[in-house]
Amino acid sequence: MKRTFLPIRSWIGVVVLTALIWAPVVDAVGQQQENPQIVRFRLADTFLRSGQFDQAIGLLEDLYAEAPRNDAFYEKLKEAYNNVKRYEEAAALVRARLVDTRSAALLSDLANIRYLQGNEKDAYATWQEAVETAPTDPNAYRIVYRSLLGVRQFERAVSLLEQARAATGQTALFRVELAYLCSISGLYAKAAEEYLALLKENDRHLDFVRSRLGPFLEEEEALASSLVVVQDAVRTDPLYRTWRELLGWLYIEAEDFANALGEYRAIDGLAGGQGHMLFEFARTAAEAGAYNKASEAYREVLERYPDAPAAARTLAAFGAMHIRWAAEIDERAFDETGNRIGAPHYDEALAAYQTFLQQYPHHELYPDVLHRIGRLQQDVFLDTGSAESTFLQVVSAFPDTRAADQAAFDLANIAIIHGQLDDARLRFNRLIERLRTGDLVEQARFNLASIHMLAGEFDAALSLVDIIDAHTSTDVSNDAITLKILLLGNRGPDSLDMPLRRYAGALLARKQRRPLAALDSVDALLSMYPSHALADEARFLRGEILLAAGRGQEAYETFAEIPLMYPASFLADRALFEAAGILSRESGKSEEAIAVYRRLLSEYPGSLFAGKARDHIRRLRGDGV
Amino acid sequence: MKQSAFRSSIRKKTMSLRSICLLFLASALSFATLSARAQDILIPMDIRQSNHLKAYGIVFWLLEQGETVDWLLNYRGGAFLASGFNGLEQELQVRGVHFERIAPGASARIVAEVESEGYNTAIVRLETAPNIAVYAPEQTLPWDDAVLLALEYAEVTYDILYDDKILDGHLREYDWLHLHHEDFTGQYGKFLQYRNIPWYIEQQRDTEQMAARYGFRKASRLKLEVARTIKEYVGQGGFLFAMCSGTDTYDIALAAHRTDIVPAEYDGDPVNPDALSRLDFNMTLAFENFTPVFHPAEYEHSNIDTGPPPPALRNQAIDYFTLFEFSAKWDPVPTMLTQNHVATIKGFIGQTTSFRKALVKPSVVVLAEAPNRDEVKYLHGNFGEGTFTFYAGHDPEDYQHYVGDPPTDLDLHKNSPGYRLILNNILFPAAKKKKQKT
Repeated sequence: MKRTFLPIRSWIGVVVLTALIWAPVVDAVGQQQENPQIVRFRLADTFLRSGQFDQAIGLLEDLYAEAPRNDAFYEKLKEAYNNVKRYEEAAALVRARLVDTRSAALLSDLANIRYLQGNEKDAYATWQEAVETAPTDPNAYRIVYRSLLGVRQFERAVSLLEQARAATGQTALFRVELAYLCSISGLYAKAAEEYLALLKENDRHLDFVRSRLGPFLEEEEALASSLVVVQDAVRTDPLYRTWRELLGWLYIEAEDFANALGEYRAIDGLAGGQGHMLFEFARTAAEAGAYNKASEAYREVLERYPDAPAAARTLAAFGAMHIRWAAEIDERAFDETGNRIGAPHYDEALAAYQTFLQQYPHHELYPDVLHRIGRLQQDVFLDTGSAESTFLQVVSAFPDTRAADQAAFDLANIAIIHGQLDDARLRFNRLIERLRTGDLVEQARFNLASIHMLAGEFDAALSLVDIIDAHTSTDVSNDAITLKILLLGNRGPDSLDMPLRRYAGALLARKQRRPLAALDSVDALLSMYPSHALADEARFLRGEILLAAGRGQEAYETFAEIPLMYPASFLADRALFEAAGILSRESGKSEEAIAVYRRLLSEYPGSLFAGKARDHIRRLRGDGV
Repeated sequence: MKQSAFRSSIRKKTMSLRSICLLFLASALSFATLSARAQDILIPMDIRQSNHLKAYGIVFWLLEQGETVDWLLNYRGGAFLASGFNGLEQELQVRGVHFERIAPGASARIVAEVESEGYNTAIVRLETAPNIAVYAPEQTLPWDDAVLLALEYAEVTYDILYDDKILDGHLREYDWLHLHHEDFTGQYGKFLQYRNIPWYIEQQRDTEQMAARYGFRKASRLKLEVARTIKEYVGQGGFLFAMCSGTDTYDIALAAHRTDIVPAEYDGDPVNPDALSRLDFNMTLAFENFTPVFHPAEYEHSNIDTGPPPPALRNQAIDYFTLFEFSAKWDPVPTMLTQNHVATIKGFIGQTTSFRKALVKPSVVVLAEAPNRDEVKYLHGNFGEGTFTFYAGHDPEDYQHYVGDPPTDLDLHKNSPGYRLILNNILFPAAKKKKQKT
């Protein structure tokens, strides 16, 4: 079948032919447009740009005389006069045009010139006259508004836009312009009112309003004024969700989490949000450290919406928040004598996680929550048996998860605590082989080196430490260097390195949470090898063990004797720092603590602890620095 | 009537360069017969000093306690010698300032050595802690102020005052005034690119409101009046120290007192077409024959500033300036201002980085310059009964400080030679007679 339309090649031919026919015509028109007036106008513009105003004005005056109705010539000549502050001539130019037409634009031009001349009264009157040329036309107001902005008359511009609304009967006119004008003029309450009205007209503008308001809220006054206005608005229409969202956001900006919670609670109720808004609020509050209010919000989500999609994440986040809270206040689950005491935040976290496991056995966070329970059992409740079975469950039930890798690592640590060093070694090696790279692998390598050290295999420990030490960017490289120095500097005097073995034994006992055994090892080392190179480190370790066991006075005495016995030890300044810390922290003996800090400063002026010691002195003596 | 009474009282209270020289000679005579002190403390300011910046704070603290301190010019980096008393050593330790106990007789030997003709050293006695004012707005602006940082770190007390306090006559309560990243031309630092950012909007609004409150239509007129008031203060014996754009914009504003050099983008009307011919360099303190930059978007006020170093040298590893050495015995003021433990100091950029040498008035003393570049970094001069010192650059320990950068942590720069130059200035007004009670 034959096609009925031209092929592409034919179309191209037609286009080329047409172009050839029209080309001379277009060129002729172009030559016609390039008339002498345009050339002179361009030259004048070039003069203006280069600051040669007199030449520019001369040319423009001629051009304007030739074509007084040409708007481009008029505008450029007016600009040129203004640029050289020949305001009277500029005004005359405008007045000449006003004879024919009294338009808002021309009157506005005249007002602007009057203002620049310093004749403010006349300027304001002329601007008013400009809007009166078309008092119900928003464009007249827009022209004058722009003219006022040009001379930074913001407050007058605000009045003008309000006048426009009244005159035109359009209450929503210039909404965004007015709001922004008010913000930059410091009329924050008025700006907030405009934004509220904008939100009432269209609730999808909430993000826009936040982005406009946000930068100004750095000013206290702006935040306070906006809050008052939005509070009043919400009071008048408590069911309008977008206003309440704005109010909740303002409360958070003001760090008033109590009131913010009230708003988000109401929003959630209004919108049937199933706790989503409350959950988001709780997360924000928790991140800001407002734990009480965050906790309240989390609880409310759990109580009011137990079956909502947000409930599972709420439980997990609630538990994590309590752990962070407990850590911040240094909460402990055992007292100095080892008796279990109430640890409300840790208990709360554990309870939340356990509830999670019961209620959401198929949730994606399940392995992670299970692992967190194991860590609580291990680190806080010191129940290594339960922790071990929890970690085993994570590893076996969720083998390809990050939680399983963490659990495998933790299982190896538990093996150390149980004294099963070979098992621990095996677990760390397996983890390293499986993962090969990453922070967990580096930590596992370091722990392997530590196991060698604890087992008295010092050469093996050293060779492993050398590998870690080579990767200086890893988090454990500092620990590796410390271990290396310990191993290199404290071998001997016998071929079995007995002092170092005893020291390692003390470290292992401490790791296994057997403080008395650790103390026995240290004391034995100190009595058998009182002048060994390790003696200062052993005594420092003794101080640390005593302090952890809550035996503050003994710990203080141990730390305090280190600089006396080993004044050249690298631990002497640190021991003084620790001793001073015990005095101020645990005994409340500020004066004595200051004296010890001062001793540190005078005996070890180059100490790394000198800066902190100075800070502590000043804080203790109430300098307020 | 009141004004003239004030002037005469200022004249009595403050001292001219001549007075400082006389005092210096008197000090020299008194030291010649000085006997050894019971227990003296030497605060060396050479490379052995652990914290040069806090050392200035300790000296200021001593002055506040009513103690006198001897500044040993050119001796161990400009060391300080004070009488020991209970608590001084502890305070030195707490602030981390290195000191040396001087055995009886040893301080007399040091004094004799410093006073001897064979060395370019001298002693200036510091007697009264100067009252310090820092010219800064209440509004927090997104850049740091090197002098405020130095004063805070050294723990030197100061008051902040701004346009209203200056125009209300509060300057007379202070011995020393500092200006930093200020724009006296009324162009808001020429930060046109930030014009829609709230801090800029607030700054412009506050300035315009302040101008209106004092009867000025424009910020440039308000700032000019402030500059004139400060000049009057200097003329009556005040000490002015300025850094960065607080230096050149100050002189530009004074020179432009009878014209308009501010583009429309900042004040709504254009620059006067004959602005250049109407500049009055008789009004300025340090610079002359300069040309303001009229382009609103060009981040430069005039050709006084040489701008950042040429690209080949714009590298903090090779950009430096050198301090001049003055005769300590005959030129004690420039010597005080240039006390340092090094003669070569690393450069730093600011809105005003260095002053073009050809535009510095001949009466001004150049204290430091960039070698082979015809650029002055640090200068000093006298006006009336007072003095002014201009130091170019923004932050001596932040080579190129940008808007929004965090402030410099001086704990990491305890021995900063660049910051020392700032602190030399606060002790310089202390070298004077105690004020008479009236």
